[in-house]
Amino acid sequence: MSTVSENYVPGHAAAAPQAGAVKLTMVLSGAVFALMMVFGLLMRAAQGQWIDLDAALFYQLLTAHGAGMVGTAALSGAAIMWYFCGRHLVLSGGIFWAFLGLFLLGVVLILGAIFIGGYGGAWTFLFPLPALSGGAWEAGAAAAFMLGYTAIGVGFLLYYLELGRRIHARYGSLVRALGWNLILGREDNDPPPPAIVAAAAVTIFNSIGIILGAAVLVASLVHLLVPGFEVDALLAKNLIYFFGHVFINASIYMAVTAVYEILPEYTGKPWKSNRLFAIAWNAVLIFVMAVYWHHLLQDVVMPPWMLVVGQLVSYFSGIPLIAVTAFSTFLYVRGSKMTWDLASSLLVLSVAGWSVGSVPASIDGMISVNKVMHNTMWVPGHFHTYLLLGEVAMAFGFMAWLVRGKTISQMDGLDRAAFVTYLAGAAGFVTVFLFSGAASIPRRWAVHYEEWLAHDRIGTLFGGLVVLGTLVFVLRFAARLGRREG
Amino acid sequence: MQPVVLFISLILMAALSAVFVAAARASRGPAPGPGASAKRSGLIWVMTILGVIVSVASLREWPHALAGTGDALEVNVSGGQWWWDIDTTEIPAGKPVNFNVTTEDVTHGMGIYDSDLTLLTQVQAIPGYTTQITYTFEEPGSYQILCMEFCGVAHHDMVNEFEVIAAEG
Repeated sequence: MSTVSENYVPGHAAAAPQAGAVKLTMVLSGAVFALMMVFGLLMRAAQGQWIDLDAALFYQLLTAHGAGMVGTAALSGAAIMWYFCGRHLVLSGGIFWAFLGLFLLGVVLILGAIFIGGYGGAWTFLFPLPALSGGAWEAGAAAAFMLGYTAIGVGFLLYYLELGRRIHARYGSLVRALGWNLILGREDNDPPPPAIVAAAAVTIFNSIGIILGAAVLVASLVHLLVPGFEVDALLAKNLIYFFGHVFINASIYMAVTAVYEILPEYTGKPWKSNRLFAIAWNAVLIFVMAVYWHHLLQDVVMPPWMLVVGQLVSYFSGIPLIAVTAFSTFLYVRGSKMTWDLASSLLVLSVAGWSVGSVPASIDGMISVNKVMHNTMWVPGHFHTYLLLGEVAMAFGFMAWLVRGKTISQMDGLDRAAFVTYLAGAAGFVTVFLFSGAASIPRRWAVHYEEWLAHDRIGTLFGGLVVLGTLVFVLRFAARLGRREG
Repeated sequence: MQPVVLFISLILMAALSAVFVAAARASRGPAPGPGASAKRSGLIWVMTILGVIVSVASLREWPHALAGTGDALEVNVSGGQWWWDIDTTEIPAGKPVNFNVTTEDVTHGMGIYDSDLTLLTQVQAIPGYTTQITYTFEEPGSYQILCMEFCGVAHHDMVNEFEVIAAEG
């Protein structure tokens, strides 16, 4: 077993042995992001009646888009965090390959379930919908979909077990890695850097989320095999939304390590852990798990105190994001004389998009507002803001940094055009969603009324810009991967 | 309510975006002064106080409060793939209505829309449970029930309607 001293390898070199695996993961992530965006574009165009999509195919695309985007956000976030934790820990390359292999196995099962088996029960597999398709798909397709999730979940658990044990070996405990010496004002000559604090928190909450997700997956699978095996639908919904909420949030909290580790190269100011930073991350650890009830605000049979907690935490979880992460970004950037290349621009944009997206999310977290906004287009409006302009921008920023080379220079014409196209497209795309939500347009409808078509068509145009910008980012990354650093 | 929610959201989102743009532009300016920490503390306090005020104001009256059974009309709504069944087709305006909502198969969402396609209220229909909401219709006219929770391949066809009639003088 490794000792603490054996584990500690400072500096960038520790990441080098697995940089290839991380780069491959980012190529795959970029390609899947682009493909899933095309699926999204097709759905918006179909809602706008610009193309004709059969409803069954629409809901299959919806399922693939949801599962694919959530999975790829998590995959890219995991690769980013692994890369930067490799600066502070020695991590097993075999575990990462096993994680990636299980992820790809899951992707094959999920794509087969959807496009061969016809499964279209949405990424949320809300019990008992997978077993009651109304003739649209067979139980085998639903089972394959959920086995795909299971394979991905097992891969992530391996990933977190490796991270957790290496953090424990290096820092003595996860509590210390969460910055409790900083919080309590105790002397610590080797405080955990921001990436490790983030890794410790995400390891804890996403492991819990995946285990609870596994519980409801197993129950749903048994229900498919033995229909007489009943599960309480409300309990299953709680487990699914706990898992789903924690998992997608974990993807952002993993990817933000790119901001902590890369921006200092530009600003010349290291991003250090301090007492406030540690308090914020420990608050996040609790808030991420306590806030999922905001997904169940219209499930009125839930105990009222849970819905109240869902509303309160929905708002107050914005404080560590805006007053700590966003505010710190302002301070790091201000007066830094930093060079705005594609990587730094996307990373600062990602913090902005994440923060700005929290505004409509928090407002939707109010029970009285949620009564008229829940499951309208308002919801994709806010989550696309903090994913498209948040996590995905972090992933693209990291990719741009990976192939940047040693010299930092201003964006060239193509990079600038791609950045502006992506930003304008994404901002317009999410704003249309918010207007559609305010116009009461329900989400996840394959067929839209005439009154809604203008929204869908404008959204489609902005979506086209997002796809265009993304293609440039991904192709540019792939083209530069093979080059030597210059 | 929706236009107000949209307006407030867009204002706050625009303000936060403007702060980021200003910060990016300030990268060429002077470094932050020693007062930055105090500003951060101030921001935390402002957000906390605002949160307490908004939370108390929005929860003081429970948003899911039901009208007493003696004062309200009881209407039963059941859903299934892919239909809504309502046990009455005419509802009087001005009188609280308690909707008792059930489902025969998967989870659905009962959203009540007015003739302008504005969502008035909603509640989830959960297998094995009866969920209840109260709503008072002010205007006579045609209203629709749309499904708000994805429930399968004909989710978008799960629509029914009812009439609200003028209250008897």
